[in-house]
Amino acid sequence: MLALKNVTKKFGELIAVNDLSFTVEQGQIFGIAGPNGAGKSTVYNLITGFYPYEGEIVFNGKNLSGMPPYKIARAGIARTFQIPQIFPSLTVDTSLNVGSRFGSGTGLDPAHVDKIIEFLELSEDRFTKTNKLNLMGKKKLMIGAALATKPGILMLDEPMAGSNAREIKALMDLILRINQEMGLTIIIIEHFMKVLTELTQELLIIESGSMICCDSPEKATRDPKVIESYIGDAYAENN
Amino acid sequence: MFSEDTILLFYEITDVIIAGLSTGSVYALMAVGMTLVYGVTKAFNFAYGDFFNMGGYLAWMIMFGLGLEFGGYPLVMILVLPILFIVGYALEKLLVAPLRKREDWENKVMMMTLGLALFLTSLYMVVFGVRMKSLPPILEGTLEVGQLVFAYQDIMIFVMSISSILALGWVLNNTRVGLAVRAVAQNPVGATIVGIPKEKIFATTFAISTVMVGFGGILLSQKWFINPNSGGIIMVKAWVVTALGGMGSIRGGLFAAFIIGMLEAFVGWFFGMSYSMIALFGLLLATLVFRPQGLMGKGE
Repeated sequence: MLALKNVTKKFGELIAVNDLSFTVEQGQIFGIAGPNGAGKSTVYNLITGFYPYEGEIVFNGKNLSGMPPYKIARAGIARTFQIPQIFPSLTVDTSLNVGSRFGSGTGLDPAHVDKIIEFLELSEDRFTKTNKLNLMGKKKLMIGAALATKPGILMLDEPMAGSNAREIKALMDLILRINQEMGLTIIIIEHFMKVLTELTQELLIIESGSMICCDSPEKATRDPKVIESYIGDAYAENN
Repeated sequence: MFSEDTILLFYEITDVIIAGLSTGSVYALMAVGMTLVYGVTKAFNFAYGDFFNMGGYLAWMIMFGLGLEFGGYPLVMILVLPILFIVGYALEKLLVAPLRKREDWENKVMMMTLGLALFLTSLYMVVFGVRMKSLPPILEGTLEVGQLVFAYQDIMIFVMSISSILALGWVLNNTRVGLAVRAVAQNPVGATIVGIPKEKIFATTFAISTVMVGFGGILLSQKWFINPNSGGIIMVKAWVVTALGGMGSIRGGLFAAFIIGMLEAFVGWFFGMSYSMIALFGLLLATLVFRPQGLMGKGE
């Protein structure tokens, strides 16, 4: 469904992503993890067209190289950011309409927007300005705006950041429901390894822009290179 | 009941108020254009006043330079407004957009538009000469209500300016492009990732603001002269209105425009026109010292 082939990104002398190749299959929840500065968010920025790169990124047979971010969004790749990117003085309803109207390629679909609002349990806040929402509300809104574009793949960037245990559980349930009930392929960057091991079917671990492992969570968390460079012995022994 | 002097004073004040409303409405048009382009692109355009002159000169050229006076203002609007849109769109794409990809692009855009302003001023001098030009009233005659006399020209300027602002408001709130403009103004990155081409919206907004200030130029050039050097002062006036209203606040800009229009009219009437600029800049200084966020700005 989504394939990165020998993708490299340099910022001057710094190699942020180094000859990275991996494939995400239809229907998967695919995880990406690694230490701070490993290049995880850079990978997202490359996939969504924010930076030029060497190599090839192919989505559903379409080469994304050189496409601007808005065309990649319209091609079916939706993403969120660690800090929710909301439209502060628009309402929840209007914000979702923006996604539906511009990202879906089929124009505004009120029934789809209704469905997302119900799915995300945002009905009570439907006509609230988005800057009045709490952090959890903003996160759900951002996921909702992404879903409103009717994507083929949803890329979540550290969705659990800043959340308490109850919120993390709720977000994990939500991500699973999006995957299972909507049948949507999901990529997730996350620091909480427990979240990744419970949610994902495949886990990519990168360090300094290079892949050190891409396997099932069970195997990835027992990989000696992953233990040494990222999760440590304690995590591997206790899980 | 009232002495003749009192009645004459009332008529004079009414005239001043009408002049203030008429000029203020065009300032409002210009301020809304400036607020819109700053709110969306975050770029300060020093050539803004020269687009005001562009509107006036293009209208003059069509009416007198090309001998199409018979078409009147309808022909001017049909030809000039699309030209202003195309010029604004092209300039943003050719000159502003490439700078936006660089570091410290806001300062680079300011310097570039300053250069553009000087270029346009020189171009107007070469093409149209240094002698001032003027446009005929959009509608001749007066409307008499009892003892009060209103020039149709002032009424038309007021109605057309306010109609344009209302039309822009309708477009922003009810159309696809309006929704895109509002989304990009609030969060360009957020807008991009849901499929909005922000670069096109930047250029479209720049073009709309060029049309608004150029339209203001067509309207006010009936009352003022078109002067190749006046772009700077127009830009400063638009900036004073925007700063007084609060950067990014369209509603504040509207209030401020009428305050400035009235201030100019009353100071000009009472002390003479040369004092109106002193009052204008005095108000700007007072605003920056005592309320730097403007009347309706959000502050830091």
